[in-house]
Amino acid sequence: MKKIISLAAAGALVFGVTVSVAPAANAACSGKLKIAYQGPLTGGEAALGINELNGVKFALKKFLAANPKANVDPVVYEADDQGDPAVAGPLAPKVAAEECVVALVGPAYSGASKVSLPIYESAGLSVITPSATNPTLPSFGKTIFHRAVLTDDYQGPAAARLIVSKNKKATVFLVNDASDYAVGLQKTVDITLAGRVVGKDVTPTGTTDFSATIAKIKKSKATAVFYSGYFSQAAIFVKQLRDSGSKITFASGDGTLDAQFVKLARKSAEGVLLTAPAIPFETASPKLAAEMVKAGWVPGVYTTESYDAANFFLEAIKAGNTTRAAINKYVSTKSSKGLSKTLKFDSEGEVSGADVNGFIIKGGKIVLLGAIK
Amino acid sequence: MDFALLRDAFWGLTFDGLALGAIYALISLGYTLVYGVLRLINFAHSEVFMIGTFGSLVATGLIGVKVEDEPLTGSKMILTLLFALVIAMLSSALAAVAVEFVAYRRLRMRGATKLATLISAIGVSISLVELFRILTDSLPREFPRIMDKTFLVSFAGADIRNDKVIVIIAAGLMMVALDQFISKTRLGKGIRAVSMDENTATLMGVNINRVITVTFFAGGLMAGAAAFFYILVYENTSFKVGFFLGISAFTAAVLGGIGNLRGALFGGFVLGLMETYTSAVFGTAWKAVISFIILVLVLLIKPTGLFGESITQARV
Repeated sequence: MKKIISLAAAGALVFGVTVSVAPAANAACSGKLKIAYQGPLTGGEAALGINELNGVKFALKKFLAANPKANVDPVVYEADDQGDPAVAGPLAPKVAAEECVVALVGPAYSGASKVSLPIYESAGLSVITPSATNPTLPSFGKTIFHRAVLTDDYQGPAAARLIVSKNKKATVFLVNDASDYAVGLQKTVDITLAGRVVGKDVTPTGTTDFSATIAKIKKSKATAVFYSGYFSQAAIFVKQLRDSGSKITFASGDGTLDAQFVKLARKSAEGVLLTAPAIPFETASPKLAAEMVKAGWVPGVYTTESYDAANFFLEAIKAGNTTRAAINKYVSTKSSKGLSKTLKFDSEGEVSGADVNGFIIKGGKIVLLGAIK
Repeated sequence: MDFALLRDAFWGLTFDGLALGAIYALISLGYTLVYGVLRLINFAHSEVFMIGTFGSLVATGLIGVKVEDEPLTGSKMILTLLFALVIAMLSSALAAVAVEFVAYRRLRMRGATKLATLISAIGVSISLVELFRILTDSLPREFPRIMDKTFLVSFAGADIRNDKVIVIIAAGLMMVALDQFISKTRLGKGIRAVSMDENTATLMGVNINRVITVTFFAGGLMAGAAAFFYILVYENTSFKVGFFLGISAFTAAVLGGIGNLRGALFGGFVLGLMETYTSAVFGTAWKAVISFIILVLVLLIKPTGLFGESITQARV
């Protein structure tokens, strides 16, 4: 009997905990509705998160200027996951438990998305990510996941085409940093390049010495190296590659597309080719970009996509939707004309009709080459 | 597995491995010195190293060298390099002494357990990392190129680069100097005496606290030198730079036989080479796996490390 009681007690405890932790999808918000942003706001990858947060802030500011009576909090709810799945895990339930958070722009990174999305799914919180590009993400947040950019299924092949367009006889060495994003992106580059891939290596985040990788690259006689990973590591790598005397093409994806990369790698960054399924804010709308700078926010990579995502949510609220469920239904079924593209999500939450852009680093600046054909 | 690469690029890999190993060796001396005297792993030593990298960064900033500047030449270059080296060594040494004073001394005086001291060390380590994370806004920092990197010679397919040659030679000289200091000077004798038998050393009139301070200072100097060489070759640092390097250096110390100076030196070079070779043969992702398996195997056969932990006189 004692055992049964204790079992029952344990069961009740588990049930109680589940109930208290399970975020209430239909809990009413008594105050102003909040738009949340999730991404790295501190840590080595913070530059990207701040670009995106600025886009959301700017969209909110413009919306409230045009709709002063809207019941929307002028302050963006900031969820700093440092781009790290380990940080995102305990963070997501807190965000989901905030009753007034009715929509979320983010998460910025694929690894953090994988742990956050199931929690938002059970809380019914609608998300539009401006930059998480891993193709498998829809399965982690079936009904609430939306993505304002093309996936790595598009970026990888585009990156491969960019490398080949610069040198018809290109042979490529592939290096990735073992993160979810990097492995996914490299796979699609690999498939598109097929016979041109002459070697591969994995250099996990935290690698400081790339000597062995560089020795492999030199031996492979590759004309180009594609690095799949993030800018802080990419800068260390490209510097060591150039210092070793190698002049081969260095190409990388959107994880490296960051002003910090140029700052860290200095001269070694010259001529580096980059891709991103994103369009710079200055290109999308020079007028709004100037206005944004005036307001004190500098646009960067993925600012445009974040701005568009936030606007879609704000349009939903303007149309009279105030609950998570209603807002999710709105963005899942309607469309929004954004700066980067018209956001219209398919059943998986994916967007179509967008381009992957190519960039080159010249004179210490990231220069847009245009859409990769 | 790519044994052909190891064969074809053997000398190049060996040279790179030695340069990396020299940095490991210099850091591992700090672990081994402190262990020899206090029988304690100074877990904050990786942060002593990290502070050294920022020390050289500040030093170059102080004399107005900017990251966007062209590399320096002639005597100006040599003086800048020496200044950065000295500041890095001093900042690390002072940090090490401060860590001892704050985290260990009082605990030792009160006869705290080894475990309490260990936790104190980890606490200091974490708070230093977090402090620098806040100070640097979590961003990596770049170091200006003071010296143009050129290839001196090409030997059997290996390109010998000037900065790495400097690292290997200078690290060797530092270690010889430390070895001489420990074996020849009065203070060095004190360190050896305390490491052999603390009580007897006290009875013979050795000032234990002074010996311990000197030990931390010497270990800090070496870590500071390692920090300068690291930043000279890799030209970047961040608040977390000490973590991976610290673990590698600690491993090197254990591999050589912790508490044994020459063992740490040897362990550093062996680990540097092993990491570079295994990266070449198995892929960089396997570097840690293979290196640590080798470490475990060595310890299984020789639990006190390659050079033995306490060979009375020879130790420290």
